[in-house]
Amino acid sequence: MPSGRVEADLALENAARAKSGIRLMVITVAGVPLLFLLSGLAIRYAAFASVSADPSLAAYARAFCKWDCTWYVDISEQGYERFPIPGHTNIGRWGFFPLYPMLVAGIRSVFPFPTLLIATVASPACAYASCLVAWPLMERNMRAYALYCAFLMSGPFSFYFAAFLTEPLFVLLTSCLFLALKRSNYLAAGISCALLSATRPVGVLAVFATVIRMFEDHRARGGSVIGFPRWLLGRPDLLVAILISPAGLFAYILYLTVTVGDGFAFVHVQRAFGRVAGDPLLFLWDGLSYHPMSSWLPTAPQWSALTAIAGLGLSVMLAVRRQYGAALFCAIAITLPLTSNLASMVRYVVGLAPLSMLAAVLLSASKPTFAAALIFFLATCYFMTVAWLGGYLALA
Amino acid sequence: MRWLELTRSTRPAQLLCGYALAGALAAAELAILALALDPKVNDDYRAYYIDKTTTCLNRDAVGRYTPGRTVSFRSNGAREAMPMMVCGWSGPVADGTHSLGETSRLRLAMPPLRDGLLATLEMNAVIRPPQLSQRIVISANGTEVHRVTLSGAAPTTVSFVIPQAVLAGNDRLEMAFDYPDGIAQSPAASNIYNRAIKLTSFRLDRL
Repeated sequence: MPSGRVEADLALENAARAKSGIRLMVITVAGVPLLFLLSGLAIRYAAFASVSADPSLAAYARAFCKWDCTWYVDISEQGYERFPIPGHTNIGRWGFFPLYPMLVAGIRSVFPFPTLLIATVASPACAYASCLVAWPLMERNMRAYALYCAFLMSGPFSFYFAAFLTEPLFVLLTSCLFLALKRSNYLAAGISCALLSATRPVGVLAVFATVIRMFEDHRARGGSVIGFPRWLLGRPDLLVAILISPAGLFAYILYLTVTVGDGFAFVHVQRAFGRVAGDPLLFLWDGLSYHPMSSWLPTAPQWSALTAIAGLGLSVMLAVRRQYGAALFCAIAITLPLTSNLASMVRYVVGLAPLSMLAAVLLSASKPTFAAALIFFLATCYFMTVAWLGGYLALA
Repeated sequence: MRWLELTRSTRPAQLLCGYALAGALAAAELAILALALDPKVNDDYRAYYIDKTTTCLNRDAVGRYTPGRTVSFRSNGAREAMPMMVCGWSGPVADGTHSLGETSRLRLAMPPLRDGLLATLEMNAVIRPPQLSQRIVISANGTEVHRVTLSGAAPTTVSFVIPQAVLAGNDRLEMAFDYPDGIAQSPAASNIYNRAIKLTSFRLDRL
C-alpha cells in the first residue's frame, strides 16, 4: 500500500476517533445530570410517598411547595399587590423578585397547565441547564462535574431545585455569568447579571465579580492598578456591561414606584416579616447558642449559623484559589441577609453556585472522597426531602 | 455588525454610540433611583414601612357594635371581634386575642350617642420574669382616656369612662392601646412581635 494512502487512512481514523470521542464526551456531559435528575426524582418521590396518602403528581407538586414557594405561586398567578394590600395584611409580595414567577407565568400562557406543575418541570430543567453550563467552569473535571450534578439533582438539598423557588434560575444565571466572565464576554456577563438582579435581591452583587474580572484582564495585559479607571472609561463596551448589570433590579424598582409608590418596597416590606438590621456576628452567635433541649441534633438556628459559617469559609477558599470575583460575590450574598437574621440561610448558601462547585471539586479530589460524598448525597436526599416536606424550619 | 466590533471600535462614531448607550443606561438608572428615593405613599405606609414610627399598620377595618353587648375576644367570638381589629393583634385563640407590637387598635362603627360610654375590658398581662407587670395607655379617638398597670398573669377587668366629648361628631370609635412595657421575643427580635396583653372580652355601655 502506498505510504501516502496509509497516512491519509490514519488521519481519517484519528479524526473519526476524535469525533467519536467528542460525541462520547457530549453524551456523558449531557447524560450525567440526566441520570441524577432521574435518580433525584425517584428518591424525592419515594420520600413524598412515605409521608403522603395521595400519590398523584398534583399532590407531589403541592407537597413540595413550602415556605416562600407559595409567594411565588401567587406572584405568578396574580402579580404584585398595590397598597393598601387586599385582605387586611401588612405583608405584600414585593419582597419576592419577579423574574422566575414571570418566567413560569410566560410558560403558562403557552402551555395551559397549573402553575405548580409548570414550576415542577421548569425548576429541574433550570438545574439541569446549570449542570451543563458548569461543565466548562469545572475545567472539564468529570469527577467534580458528576458530584456537582449529584448535589444539585439528587443531593440533600435537591428539593430546592425541584420546587417553585428562585434557586434553580439563580444558580443557572450565576453559572452563565461566571462562564461569560471566564471567556471575558462582558456583555453576556452583564446581561446574566441583569437577569440575576431581577431574580433575587443579592443577584445584582454579581456586578462586583464582573468588575474584578475586568481588573484582572487589565492587569494581565500589563495595565497598572492606577490606570484601571482610565482604561475602563476608554472602553464603552465594558461600561455598558457594568451599567446593564443592575437593569433587572432597576426595572423592578421602577415597577414598584409606579404601582406601590415606593420603589424600595421590596426593602421596606421586610419590616412586616420581622427582619431587623443588626450585627451579623451577633445573629451568628445567637444561632450557635440556641442549644437543643432534648435531642443531640443541632437546632434549626444552629444549622443555619453553621451553614453560614461554612459558606463564608468556602468563600475564603475561593479567594485563596484566586477566584476573587466569585469569592466576593458569595461572601456578600451571605453577609447581606445575615445582617437581618438567619432566616433561609441554608437555602441562600446552597443557591450560591461557586460554593457548590468548589465543594464538588474539593470532595472529588480523590476517588474515596468522591465515592463517599456521592453515597452521602444520594442517601441524605431522601431524609432531607422528608424534612422539607415536614416543614423543618432550618430549610425554609 | 457585531456588538464587540461596534463597542471596541476606535472609530469615533461607533465609540460615540457605545458611550451614548452607556450614558442612556446611567441616566435611566439615576432617574429611577431619584424617583425611588422620593416615595409617593400615604402616611400609614410611611409610618409603618419607612419611618418605622409605628408597629400597627392602619387598615380600613371597621366592626359593627351596639352598646350593651359583650364581645368575646376568644376564638368563640372571632366572627364579631375580627372586623373590629385594625392592627396590632394576633388571634383570636382559645385564651384571647394577643397584642402584637407596641400599639393595638380597635375600630367600631357606633350609633349616634348623646352621652359618654363605660368601657369594660377583660385582659391579662403578658409577663416574663423579672417583668411582672404591663402598663397600658388607652386612647379613644386620639384622646387618652385611661392608664392602667396590670400585674401578674391573672385576668383583670378594666373599666373606664369614655367622655361624650371624644365621641361627639364621630360615627366611629377608634380605641388605641399603647404598651410601654411590651416584651420583646428576643434581644434581636423586631418590635412588631412585642407582647403585652391578651384581650378576652370587650363591652361598652351607655352612661
